[in-house]
Parts: sequence; C-alpha cells; structure tokens
Amino acid sequence: MYRYDEIDKQFLADRTAEFRGQVERRLINEITEEQFKPIRLMNGLYLQLHAYMLRIAIPYGSLRSRQLRMLAEIARTHDKGYGHFTTRTNMQFHWIKLREAPDIIDKLATVDMHSIQTSGNCIRNTTADPHAGATAEELDDPRVWCEAVRQWSSVHPEFSFLPRKFKIAIVASLKDRAAVRIHDIGLYMRRGRNGDLGFEVAVGGGLGRTPYVAPTIRQFIPAARLFSYLEAILRVYNRYGRRDNSFKARIKILVASLGVEEFARQVEAEWEKIGEGSDLPDTELARIRGAFTPLPFETLPASSSAFEEARLADPAFARFVRNNVHPHKQPGYAIVDVSLKAIGETPGDCSAEQMDLIADLAERYSLDDVRVTHEQNLVLPHVRLDDVPTVHAALAAAGLATPNVNLISDIIACPGLDYCALANARAIPIAQHIAERFADQDRAELIGELKIKISGCINACGHHHVGHIGILGVDKKGEEFYQLTLGGSGAEDAEVGKILGPALPENRVTDAIEQLVEVYLRERQDGERFLDTYRRTGMAPFKEAVYADVH
Amino acid sequence: MKALTANRLIDGEVVFWRKGEWIERFADAELFDDPAVAEAAEAHGKNQPTVVVDVYLIDLVDADGIPTPVSYRERLRALGPTNPRQHGKQAEGGKVIAALAQASGAARSTGRVNLIKR
Amino acid sequence: MPTYIKLKDGVAAWAEDAFTTVADEEKLPRGDVIISLERFKTEGDHLLVEGRSLGVRLEAGEAVEDLVYDLPRLSVIALVFPKFKDGRNYSSARLLRDRYGFKGEIRAVGEVLREQAGHMVRCGVDAFEPYDGSTPEQWQAAAHRYRHVYQRDSDARVPAFVERAQ
Ligand code: SF4
Repeated sequence: MYRYDEIDKQFLADRTAEFRGQVERRLINEITEEQFKPIRLMNGLYLQLHAYMLRIAIPYGSLRSRQLRMLAEIARTHDKGYGHFTTRTNMQFHWIKLREAPDIIDKLATVDMHSIQTSGNCIRNTTADPHAGATAEELDDPRVWCEAVRQWSSVHPEFSFLPRKFKIAIVASLKDRAAVRIHDIGLYMRRGRNGDLGFEVAVGGGLGRTPYVAPTIRQFIPAARLFSYLEAILRVYNRYGRRDNSFKARIKILVASLGVEEFARQVEAEWEKIGEGSDLPDTELARIRGAFTPLPFETLPASSSAFEEARLADPAFARFVRNNVHPHKQPGYAIVDVSLKAIGETPGDCSAEQMDLIADLAERYSLDDVRVTHEQNLVLPHVRLDDVPTVHAALAAAGLATPNVNLISDIIACPGLDYCALANARAIPIAQHIAERFADQDRAELIGELKIKISGCINACGHHHVGHIGILGVDKKGEEFYQLTLGGSGAEDAEVGKILGPALPENRVTDAIEQLVEVYLRERQDGERFLDTYRRTGMAPFKEAVYADVH
Repeated sequence: MKALTANRLIDGEVVFWRKGEWIERFADAELFDDPAVAEAAEAHGKNQPTVVVDVYLIDLVDADGIPTPVSYRERLRALGPTNPRQHGKQAEGGKVIAALAQASGAARSTGRVNLIKR
Repeated sequence: MPTYIKLKDGVAAWAEDAFTTVADEEKLPRGDVIISLERFKTEGDHLLVEGRSLGVRLEAGEAVEDLVYDLPRLSVIALVFPKFKDGRNYSSARLLRDRYGFKGEIRAVGEVLREQAGHMVRCGVDAFEPYDGSTPEQWQAAAHRYRHVYQRDSDARVPAFVERAQ
C-alpha cells in the first residue's frame, strides 16, 4: 500500500498548521462564522443537528491497521465510541467538538490521514473497487491510478473552485463494485487493440435531484494520457458548468444539456491543445505502482482442508462463506467481506472496539490491509483460506460476521434526520426495521441478491436511485413519508430506479417491502434476481400489491 | 408558544435560551408567549457570535401538559438520534424527555413550521 | 480604493497602481485604463493609437479566446472573481499564461481572499486587489503555505513528482 513520503507528510503538516490557526481565529472572532464556514467545510467539518461532524477521507477506501486504530482512538477520545462509514467510503464522526478538531486533525496526520477535500466544490475522494489487488478479474490495480489522482487533485490550483463537487471512480474489472456510473467521471480500465492499458471514460453520472447514469464519452484513452484527459474534462466543466443554480451545477447537467457528442467534442478539442505536458511521467507512476506490488503472498495449495472441514462441520461458517467470502487471485487466499449490517444495528456504524479488532485481524491475517466499500461494509482482502475459520470466529464474537452481504438486510442508509441537518426524514430506523423483519437468514438467502438503499433527502447520499428497491425520505406536512423506487442499479448494469407510487407513511414501509418481495418470489423464474424479475415484468404487479388496499 | 435555540460554537451542542443564558436541556428552556419578547431574545442571541451559531426560534405546542417542539426535527435536536436511543440529551431521561420521545401524532400532524427549509 | 499588491520576483509588495479602472458608463479619464472587453472591442484601437497602456477586464464567463490576437498589445488583464467560489477565471489565467503566452500583468479583482492566494499565484496571477484587507506579508505567507505542490502549473514551482525524481 502507498505510504506517505517526506513530501506528502510536509504537505499535510502545512495544511494542519493552517487549520489550527483558522480555528483559533474563529474562536476569538477574528473571523466571522460566514468567513469560517467555507474554511471548516474545506476541512470536512460540518455543523449537523447535534454537534459538529468531521468527515475523514479514506483514499480509495484503503486502510492500514495503524490508520484504523487511529480512527478507533478518535472514536473513543473525541466521539461517543463509534464512527460511521459512508457511501463515499469515508468515515464520519458525528459528535465532534470544534475546539478539539485541530487535535483530531493532527492525530490523523500522524497516520497519513486527513479530512481535506471531503467537502466543497472540489475533486473529492476517489472511489475504487474494494477488491482491488485481490480479485483475479482485474487488468491492473486501480489503486495505482487512484493514488495518482489523489495527489494530482490535492489543492489543485485550477480546479478547487468548481461549479459543484466532483467525484471520480476507477475500476479495473468487468464487475463494478464501485458504482462507477454514478460518478462525475467513471474510469474503466480496458485493453486497447494492441494490448496496451487504458481507460474507457464515462462522464456525467450523479444522483440527487436529477439522477443520471454516466454515458461513455471515449471508448479508450491510453493510460499514459489519463491526466491530460482529466484536465481537459475538468477545464471544460470549470469554464462552462452552470453556476447560477447549485441544483444544476454538477457536470451531469452540462453533459446532458450539451449532449454527449458535443460535450465529448469540446473535451477532445481541449485535450488536443493541452498536449502531453500535463501527463504524469512514467517514473512517478512506476514509483506509485511500486507501493502496491508485489504483495508477500505465500505459495499455497488452491484448497485448504481446514477451510473445507469447517465448512462441513459448521453451518454458520458455511453460510458465511456462501455470502461473505470471494475468490482471490492468489491460490490459497480469499477475500472476506465484513458486514457492518448486523441485524437491527445502524448500517455503516462501527464501534471503536470493532475497529480495533478488525485492525488486529488485518494485521495478522490480511497483509495489513482493510477496505471500505461504498455499500458501507469492510473487506479483509487477503486472508489465507486456512485462516478464514479463525477470522470468522473472531468476527462473529464481535457481531461482525452477519452473513448477509448483497442480501436484503445489507441495506445502505445515510445518516438521515437522526444526524443530518439537511434531512427530511430518518433513514437509519427504516433500515433497522426492514433488517429485523428479514432477520431469518434462510429466507434472506432464498430471496437472494436484493439491494435496498435509503436516503433521508433528495441529495441521495444513500444512493436510493440505484437501489433495486430505493427508499427516499420526504416530508409531508411535518410527517415522515417514504417514496419507493424500483429497478435501480449502481453496478455494471447501472440504471436509475422508477417511482413505485405515492409516498408511504413510515409505518407502512416495511410491510410494503414484504409485499414487493412476495410478488418477486411469486413471479420469479429460474435464477432471476429481484432486479431481473422486475425488469421482465415491469412495475405493474409490484404496484398492484403495494397499493391494492388503496383502490 | 416559542423557545429559542442554537448550537454552541465551541462544541456544536444544541442549546436553549433561558433568561440570558444558553442551557443544554430543553426542559429548562424559557418559553415565550409574547412574540416581542421572543424576538428580543433572538436578537440578543444573534449578537453572541463567539458563543453560539445558527440562532432561531422554534414553535412549541402543548402535548399533554408538556410544551413540545412542533417540528420533528426540533424534537430530535432536543433528544438525540433515535437509532441508538441512548445517545445525546435523551440519555438523561426524565419526564420531558419521555414526553418528547412520545410526541408524535398530535404534535407532528399540527404541521411543520418553516424550520426545515430554514 | 482597493489596495493593490504586486508580485515582484515572486515576492508580494504594495505597489502603485498606474491604471484607472473604468466602468462602461464612466467617461474615460486621461492615462492608462482598464476597461471591459465590450468597451475594448469598440474603443481599444483608438485608445492604443493615443499611446495609452491598456488593460482589459474579463468577467467570469468571458472567453480569453476573444482576446488572443490583442494580447501583445495589452498590458493588463484583470480577471474578475465575482464570488470567491466562482473559479472560472483560474482557467482563464492558466490559458493566458500557458497557451497564449501572455507576458503582461494578470490581476485578480473581485472577492479575492487570502485563502485563494496559492491557487491564484500558481495559475499565473501576479497582481491582486485583496477583498479581505490582506497585507503583502499575509498574502505572501498564504501563497506559500505549502512547501510542496503536486501539479505542474503556470508558476515556476517544481511539482512533487519532479522533486522525487531528482
Ligand atoms: S441524503 Fe440527505 S439526509 Fe441523507 S445524508 Fe445526504 S443530505 Fe443528509
């Protein structure tokens, strides 16, 4: 994994010193709240309902044990003993005190972490495949490119005051575990005709008030030319993106209003003028690449008797393997998903003790590597098959082995009205109720892959538009209501869901989910997921079931 | 009936106005029946930029003898999050906390004031 | 009157502003002036013939491309930052310096805050009318907040990837 060198460390130290000074100036009113607000936001510090919230960047969702332990330490010392992993693969602490924020930021810097550019109209944290470097499906390790993007985008002189926030995602396998097409720029690693590496470039995805799945604007850009091409896209956006209305300021609106072809033409024209001077030299890419490879894998047989025996002997372990364990590129290893969706708990929340435990497990059993997924789970990417039973037992003892990854209780939920100052309605308790209703794991497995995603307002941090079932909290005359959408997907078959019908009161939501599931079980044909059945039958039978009593 | 609320600058804590002071418990908040008095307090509060931020008045209704914020959002601010019921101000418990946690129906259906859109 | 800071050999200092900024509806005073792009298009040639030095004020959203052929005749381009959040003219500055080789003064006007000093200097801006009352010392410190930078840009700073290769 990438480690900060002296240059990275000094860069961060300069930033933390600046922030400390700014907080001090605010506390003695040398700068007003109006002047301070954009400054604190540039450092990821929001004022939420109950306290300040600090959003900490987890670059491309990758953590070392030391870093996770520091997050645990911050949770214990400066928060209420827990933290919340977000759909941006960042961590949010919800009970932060302004006067302690500079200390927290200093602590983070000791483990090469920060909260820079986790807010504001700049280039945010890059999302990557959480199985990067571990899955056999990939052409290259996308983290190499993410790290290069991280550096290139840090305090970018030209692109720090964009019309709106800007998010980039990179994957290198056909399977999309990073919701690439709902990003402002989505990059898919591809091989060109002569076998050279490059990217398919999609631009203009995003959720919120007007959701779009990003269209591809270029089938292939040679990898060596990535940064000049990014510069061209960002320059066109910075110059021509709308600034008169923040709801229309994302690049998706520019792409949609110009049309994909015209937008692409403008980018190409700009790119030709930029030339190669803005590309990153191969030496630097090689340096970054060296930080990610090679990993010290052992040479092991492809199968493990300890693993197989445990699977036969222990049905709970077998179930965990079915749902949470994935094949690894290296024989004798596995990718282990750690579910942060224990039934009845808050999706994405992790206690300090749990963080410490996962850090220990990562250090001992996963080459000191932990990943965060946009679905608010964690991953131990490099576990020897021999060790999976031990890891499972340790996770289970800490409530971290819920075997529900990709199942109905693996729900994304944003903080919603329980924490968020922008919310219309709560999201977390809805997730808790649904998960409790479907707590029976046999039933959950029978239902199979079903992605429920919940947002507390139209900002869509909970990705509801791309849930197989999406749930959006709305406010009707001061009451919490929920609008359901069906048929969304954030994966390689990305699509924005369609509205099922009028919003439902809070106490109807879980029943409605149950009704939708029943229709699916009744209608489904061989091997169909919920999403496939919906796509075949259309909305009608589902709508009929949920609104039957209304007629 | 109204109360005056804000977040404390130094730690973000939700606070309520009581006779010239900012206090943490909604149960102790000063209740204003006279709009002029409420607005005077608000002006006073807004003049304390090193103490509080986001100063505004909230509407209250009577819920079984206990004044309760009309808006659901404001009840959550006075209580804490509902996902773990033990975090935030609600941890302390008591009669008013219980009333706020119970208040749904009547208080909620009286409609929202312009707080959320603030 | 806004105060005026200029970079001399990379160091920010107070400077005497030789130019008068003139709004479109104002009558032209004597001497060197900064006028809008619109006015430059109609009156520019004539003013240059009079022997004046000219500056053009470019609003956010106006295209530097419109000025390309006139650049050698201009002494100042004043880039307007109407709000500190409006970053369009960072791109204008870069294009003026890197693509069109403008050697004159690029001046930032409008809501120009210390927090943006580093970005502006790196994009090739070399004169400032700070909106927040910053002194040259404060401006200098803010512009050089970071010992290292990650990108190659319009200033002479050496990006991290070059430092590392050395
Ligand atoms: S979707 Fe809305 S309620 Fe949820 S976290 Fe985002 S802004 Fe807050």
